[in-house]
Amino acid sequence: MRCEAAQNLFDAYLDGELSAGQRTELGAHCVKCADCRRALALMEVSGHIMTSDREPVTLDANFTDRLLACVDEQESSWMRRWQRWIYVAAPLAAAAVVLMGFFGFFDSNKGRVAGKAETGQIESVIDDSEIPEPFLDDDLEVTDGDAPAGELQQLIRRSQNNFDTRRQDVESLLEKVDLTILQKIDVLEQLNEQDPTDPEKHKNDLPGHDASGDE
Amino acid sequence: MKIAAEDNVRELERKLIARARSGDKLALRELVDQHKDRLFAFIWRMTRNHHDAEEVCQDAFLKAFASLESFRDEFRFSTWLFTIGYRMCLNRMRKKQAINGDIDFASMPLPSHESPSDNVESAEAAQLRSDVWSAVDQLSPQQRASVLLFYRQSMSCQEIARILELPVATVKSHLHRARLRLRNMLESTSEKDLLQFRNLSGLAG
Ligand SMILES: [Zn+2]
Repeated sequence: MRCEAAQNLFDAYLDGELSAGQRTELGAHCVKCADCRRALALMEVSGHIMTSDREPVTLDANFTDRLLACVDEQESSWMRRWQRWIYVAAPLAAAAVVLMGFFGFFDSNKGRVAGKAETGQIESVIDDSEIPEPFLDDDLEVTDGDAPAGELQQLIRRSQNNFDTRRQDVESLLEKVDLTILQKIDVLEQLNEQDPTDPEKHKNDLPGHDASGDE
Repeated sequence: MKIAAEDNVRELERKLIARARSGDKLALRELVDQHKDRLFAFIWRMTRNHHDAEEVCQDAFLKAFASLESFRDEFRFSTWLFTIGYRMCLNRMRKKQAINGDIDFASMPLPSHESPSDNVESAEAAQLRSDVWSAVDQLSPQQRASVLLFYRQSMSCQEIARILELPVATVKSHLHRARLRLRNMLESTSEKDLLQFRNLSGLAG
């Protein structure tokens, strides 16, 4: 066996993955070859040191207590967030009902096609994404010239205009709703800052956090 | 026998996790106590900063507990915890590096008294020990993590691959390169010291 072949077996040897035959071969080479013997010894010794040396540093004795205290604090802060959510969600839900009323969501007299377009509009307004081009025009342009279709076209145009003005109303309404929610969150945040049990503030002044650098 | 014992351990862990999921504080405490020292030792070797290591450790446990629902118990809890810890550790190191530049491990004093036995050892053996650890400090983070998990945590390459989120072959090549680098860095060790250490630690033969 040559040195190169022997050294290719080093990793498998160190990982304990060599077959009995390969082990014997490698052993025979190392008996004759001082370089390979030394290289393998260096790796074995460093592996042994890394495996068996004691840890020079230890975790703070009260680590577990501190950690579980953090878990408790997080749980209570989730509870607070949940309470805050209800506080915020109530006016939001009311606003949503107003919006739905605005779009005639509850108006059963509207046609199916128009109704479908309207819900699409509501979603896009609430999504705050770009309002998509109304798809109804494109769909029905093909039948233009046809008398009932023309009438329908006019109806759609009118309702489209109606939409545009309503959308503006809704957008300004949404802005107002947003503003009040933000204000409420601000107030809550301020209250939380004065709360002595707030975990965010006390995370860092627990004992054992003053060690800087290494021992 | 060994497999049966392993199955038993896994079964106990599954029960413990189930209790932890239902909010049992004692189960959480048991999980922390079972894994904290190993996780801390690993993170400390990675960051070489006591304060950082404790914080990363704490955050890793908190994150693990907050997402216990997504833990799949065909894996070991330790593998999952180390995966979270390793990711957080890398982030912390990257942030620190961005602020302070490269971390100069060579300038960090190595803690002494690492020998596994209380027997007084020769100055040469102590020197070899400290040479090995400062060589480990100079490995790349991925090589260092591979070596530490393999030797110190006795993990398989498969387990390490999961933790580092790398293919097994990549982990093996990290280990291979790390060993070569360690060997080169320790090249100046005298034959006498090496032999002495081998005899002392019972490696010879
Ligand atoms: Zn050779």
